[in-house]
Amino acid sequence: MLFDRYNKRIFNFLRQLTNDSMLAEDLAQNVFLRLIKYRNSYREGNRFQSWIYQMARNVFADHYQSNKNKAGSHIDVEKMSDHISDIEENLEEREQLLHRSLAKLSDEQRELLVLTRFQHLKYEEVAAIMDTTVANIKVKVHRAIGKLREHYFELEKS
Amino acid sequence: MEKEKLESLLIDYIDGNLNDADRATIEQELAQNKSTAKLYRQLKEVMDLMANSKVATPGLSLKQNFEKALQAEISKTESSSSAEAPAKAGKQVFFKPWVLRAAAGVVLVIVGIGIGDQLNKSRQHDLEVAALRKEVEDNKKMMLSMLENQQSASQRVMGATVAYELPKADDEIVNALAKAMDEDPNTNVRLTALEALGKFYQQGHVRIKLIKALSTQKDPVVQIALIRLLVQMKEKQVVNELEKITRDGNVMKAVKDEAHSGILKLS
Repeated sequence: MLFDRYNKRIFNFLRQLTNDSMLAEDLAQNVFLRLIKYRNSYREGNRFQSWIYQMARNVFADHYQSNKNKAGSHIDVEKMSDHISDIEENLEEREQLLHRSLAKLSDEQRELLVLTRFQHLKYEEVAAIMDTTVANIKVKVHRAIGKLREHYFELEKS
Repeated sequence: MEKEKLESLLIDYIDGNLNDADRATIEQELAQNKSTAKLYRQLKEVMDLMANSKVATPGLSLKQNFEKALQAEISKTESSSSAEAPAKAGKQVFFKPWVLRAAAGVVLVIVGIGIGDQLNKSRQHDLEVAALRKEVEDNKKMMLSMLENQQSASQRVMGATVAYELPKADDEIVNALAKAMDEDPNTNVRLTALEALGKFYQQGHVRIKLIKALSTQKDPVVQIALIRLLVQMKEKQVVNELEKITRDGNVMKAVKDEAHSGILKLS
């Protein structure tokens, strides 16, 4: 079933975006509810995987938006990267460093890396999800990796 | 090289996405330039870390909550579709195609299984036919090589016997048997070949060969067997040939007697 096939991937995608397992579970839940509700919006011929990731992105964006409105200010990236999340508690030092560096990236860059490097989606698939060209995605992913490297080795030094 | 371009090439290099020319350029650069080598190591480290990052499993509550919510959604759509209020007609339309689609899906799967099964069966049948064909082909090859075995007459007899057991003889087999019947130095081989040919008598070209053999065959044992066979097959057009045999001074008396009795039976 679709839920069994995708729940782990969607959960991990959201977990890496939010850096919070509990929140990721809630959001993943919402993604699958939306799938049921909006199943008619799926157009045949499109890749189902792209569609479900698009749905997950929307759920994440909505959550982010409502949080922003509630808090009245955007999430402080510096604060986020300093905060040791529940994810990081069980990780090795190097992977902790990776997550802190990821938190320093822009939302778009982080999302691109999560999709292409953690979730192993092809550039073509990500281009379909984000409705842009493969070349554009590739350039952006390469830049994001470059930025991530800088953050990672800066953090390592300090 | 500009840093961003170099970085991009290095990432493609790590991903294995470079063509031969670019790969050679990068490898040369890596060998010559220490700072490039360092950049490469650093990029590889973060890329490897991302690729091998641990995958977490969501808690059971995700599935349980999902199933609960799914049930709620289903009962909600069911109740709204059973309600008669025209205002809810939209939802009704929303639900119905879903059921129809599910039903169509089930039908498609069943039809698919049916077609797949049929295809599978016919494929199996084809495979069996192919295996049989190969076996026949192998038998034929073995038989032909036996018939041509110059060293051993018993092998040639065996070959003719194998031919006798074949369900049908093609031109190649008939020619090999006819040749054995006409030219083989051993009487037993000639007789067995004749016997085998007799079995395929219904095939037109076999009859022609046998009738022709009556005028050319010189071995009395084979001649007698041949006459008996042709008479048994009620081959009336051989009467003239039989009469010639009865008049031929070089033919053995036993053969002439057989020819006489053949003429009597056929006319």
